[in-house]
Amino acid sequence: MNLIELKGIHFGYDTHQVAILDDLHLSVNHGECHCISGATGCGKSSLLHLIAGELSRPFEGEMIRHPALMVGLVMQDPNVQVLRQSVGAEIAFALENLGTPSVKMLEKVQQALRRVGLYISIDTPVDVLSLGQKYRLMLAAQLVFEPNLLLLDEPWTQLDNHGVQELYFVLKSLLSDGVAIVMVEHHPQAFGTLISHLWQLEQGKLVAGLYLPSVPREHKLNVTAAKATTSESCAEERVRISPHRFQFTGRETLFRCANTLSLAAGEIVALVGDNGSGKSSLLKALAGIQADIGQLPFSVLGKRPKLGIYGPNLSLLLQRPNRQLFEQTVLTEMQFSLRRFKLPLTRAEQMLAQLSLMGLAAASPHKLSYGQQHIIALASLACLTPKVLLLDDPFAGLDSVHCEKVWQLLLQLRQQGCAILLSSHREMSLDDVDRVWHIESGFLLDRSESMEQSYAG
Amino acid sequence: MRVNPLRRLAVGKRRRFLGRLNKTHYCALALLLSLLLSTSAFLLPSSALWILVALNGGLVVHGLLLKKKISALLKIATVQLVTTMGLYYLFHGESQLLEGAVVVLRVLLAMLPGWWLSSTQPPERLGEVLSWGLPHQWAFVVAASLSLLPFMSRELKEIYQIQCMRGARITPKALRNPKNWPEFIYCVLLPLLIQLLKLSKQMAISAKLRHFGNAAKATHWPSTRDSE
Repeated sequence: MNLIELKGIHFGYDTHQVAILDDLHLSVNHGECHCISGATGCGKSSLLHLIAGELSRPFEGEMIRHPALMVGLVMQDPNVQVLRQSVGAEIAFALENLGTPSVKMLEKVQQALRRVGLYISIDTPVDVLSLGQKYRLMLAAQLVFEPNLLLLDEPWTQLDNHGVQELYFVLKSLLSDGVAIVMVEHHPQAFGTLISHLWQLEQGKLVAGLYLPSVPREHKLNVTAAKATTSESCAEERVRISPHRFQFTGRETLFRCANTLSLAAGEIVALVGDNGSGKSSLLKALAGIQADIGQLPFSVLGKRPKLGIYGPNLSLLLQRPNRQLFEQTVLTEMQFSLRRFKLPLTRAEQMLAQLSLMGLAAASPHKLSYGQQHIIALASLACLTPKVLLLDDPFAGLDSVHCEKVWQLLLQLRQQGCAILLSSHREMSLDDVDRVWHIESGFLLDRSESMEQSYAG
Repeated sequence: MRVNPLRRLAVGKRRRFLGRLNKTHYCALALLLSLLLSTSAFLLPSSALWILVALNGGLVVHGLLLKKKISALLKIATVQLVTTMGLYYLFHGESQLLEGAVVVLRVLLAMLPGWWLSSTQPPERLGEVLSWGLPHQWAFVVAASLSLLPFMSRELKEIYQIQCMRGARITPKALRNPKNWPEFIYCVLLPLLIQLLKLSKQMAISAKLRHFGNAAKATHWPSTRDSE
């Protein structure tokens, strides 16, 4: 059965700009799984909203929807879709609006929870769920009203490998029940054989195939070449984490650290762990801004971390870095910290030129794409040339073009002697970073060290 | 002994009424109580304020027993106490300090029931109570706004910390100088407002996609849980 058919769709946000969707055709049938890839900001999310019938602006073209079409959409960030505080109430939201009698809700809600593999009480507060669990909660909140077309916006980016695997099995059972799926995803490999149609969105049209931009991956070589020099010179220690238990006051231990970990000048270390393992809290604790954590045996630049004592020497980039943008133009945004720390303002222009982003200098930071905002926020910290840079999931939600810009910045800082600690919910290759710390089954450890030792042994 | 039939009817009614009292009714009573207590904080004469202090003390104990955090409210109260007393001292001298303290106490007594209500009652249940009087849509908006508060306060704190680290002149020390207050508005409140607008838009889409506003008469989840 054909659920929805799009014929010759034209759509654009701005009359002055090129149309985002231009003569687009798509037909989705029962039990099909379509995957759409494309550069950041090319209109993939707009397409999903158009299919969901929730696009705020008019479009041209024909959209034929089956009378029985029921659409469920899970957006990229599950946090912004949560409307209630408890799991049960969240899932029941759609049922309330559809006028389902109260007595029938409980069964339906529990069924939806089981379907996404969440075996938790319906009274569980949404707050305590990990990101992966929240994603499946949002999925359950859609499945409860039995949609026959499910739309997913970049699930791979948000979820850790464990979460992706769980999602895989949920989607598999949905497809076998005849539900159609349209997902926007850069990494369709993660969903392997489930995908029946692979598309790339290019210049507003859907073309068969996967979007694979040709990006030079030079940074790998640089790392290996420079690795030898840093270990020889025995660089200055910038961060020292002594053995401790990491736990919030009155809560269970998040993880233990049994050995002393240290981060030296000119090093990039990745901190890898699943969603909710405590990576962000550890980074914040290192910056001295994590509350309810007590005194930990951390030393950053020779001092116990505290907000406001490091000046330009310590920088931290939190998740959703676009939150920190406030100036009128990109250039003034970049100059803000330079001005406050009395550093040469010309560094801002130099940095933009290096990233070949001079064209954005006069633009408003609020009007940039997500990827561009991300780069500008990072660049405004990088031009301070901090001694220690902490980054919380700096590659989240970025396509490979923007990821490459981030790497370019990081390698440049590393060469200048900056010590960099970046968190990631995915394994990182030792080709990209100097060392990897893991938070795994309740322990924080430097696995690369033990690996090297085992090789030596 | 003959029992007055009218009285028997009344007792029966009360029993049935209590039997039917579920969590939603308690929530309604809690809402009424908080409204009453908050208004009396301003209306009662100073001599009768001790009654309110005692009642609010009860609420605080109840909230704390349920392990709800009150530190934020106490911080606000302290800041308010310090600034108000400072201003009273500046304008009226020492003699009026007690009056200043009473004003602060009244404001605190007006805020406490709100803290108690929002920390002991889930927003969806408050939403259900509100929907008795308000249209369903409005009740949802009020309940959703209430549930946004914790998120916004977390966001405010994080943005403040990020900007402090970026060198903004907004540290507690810097904010003693009124010259730096605009910086706080530009660096912290403006980005927070942008986040709030974005978030509310996303929430609106999320609600609409889940058929919000479609049913003529929406049903409610919490009552189901009570009647189990």
